[in-house]
Amino acid sequence: MIHLPEQNDLNARAHFSIRNDTYLICNLVFSGFILMLFMYFLIFSPDRNNYPVVCIHEKITGQACSSCGLSHSLSLILRGRIEEALRWNENGIAVFIFFVSQFFLRLFFSHYYVNNPDFRKQLIVTDIAGSSLIFLLAFMPFIINIFRWL
Amino acid sequence: MTMEEEKKNSGQTFGIAALIIAIITFIIAVIPCIGLTAIIPGIIAIVLASVGLSQVSGNSSSRGVLIAGLVIGIVASVISLSQYVIAGKLVGKWPNSIENIIEEVQENVVKELKDASVSIKVENGDEEVEINVNQRKKDKEQILEELEKGIISPDDTLTGTE
Repeated sequence: MIHLPEQNDLNARAHFSIRNDTYLICNLVFSGFILMLFMYFLIFSPDRNNYPVVCIHEKITGQACSSCGLSHSLSLILRGRIEEALRWNENGIAVFIFFVSQFFLRLFFSHYYVNNPDFRKQLIVTDIAGSSLIFLLAFMPFIINIFRWL
Repeated sequence: MTMEEEKKNSGQTFGIAALIIAIITFIIAVIPCIGLTAIIPGIIAIVLASVGLSQVSGNSSSRGVLIAGLVIGIVASVISLSQYVIAGKLVGKWPNSIENIIEEVQENVVKELKDASVSIKVENGDEEVEINVNQRKKDKEQILEELEKGIISPDDTLTGTE
């Protein structure tokens, strides 16, 4: 029996199960995590200042750190108050772009992964490299801060 | 389901859990505000990956995920520990910086007082004593210059201090 490429592709998709695939589970969990993070920034208001997470660094050392005001900044960005957000923490916009891009990349890569079984390895490598690069760019000020103090 | 398949599945589950926790821990560890707390999930990720690795056979496909989880977990924990080191350094520096600020304020006060006029008034019932001290540096220098030139007599210098 001769299988046409299209038929093979259909078979691959038919036998595909999210439960058995590490990459898809990871993507699903990370998407959920990012959504929960955005929910947190939407629920807690910068005007009421009712954030449950406090800066442990400031509590211990008595000095404000480079990530102080990040929650305020992200909440304000979600509410469209960019200028105020930049005043709270100038790195907020980069962190926000990182999380938004990661959310959409998880969805896009998952879709591509399911539909292109022949390119899965290349896709995972591209994802790891790309996401690491975006992470480094977004969190660079914090990373530099660590090395500066060590 | 055979014993080997069961082990493979549990290895995969441990691997996924370890990898997800490790990546989230890595992001948390880099942020100074909450980086100190990342040590706990970091250790959890390492433990999960280690347990998973001990369960899977040598050539299992889930081994890669477990190793990735273990490595990222270790790196995240090291970053979190470095945040402790930084906090420790800052705690050590904090009292010094307070001392520096106090010294600076003290110097400024002394500098300001050198050029200031001080007036002290003491009242005890009907008695009243007022002491006026004019210690302006420039005035003193001027008086010294005038004394040297002989413009004023030495008695006049006492008028500055009563």
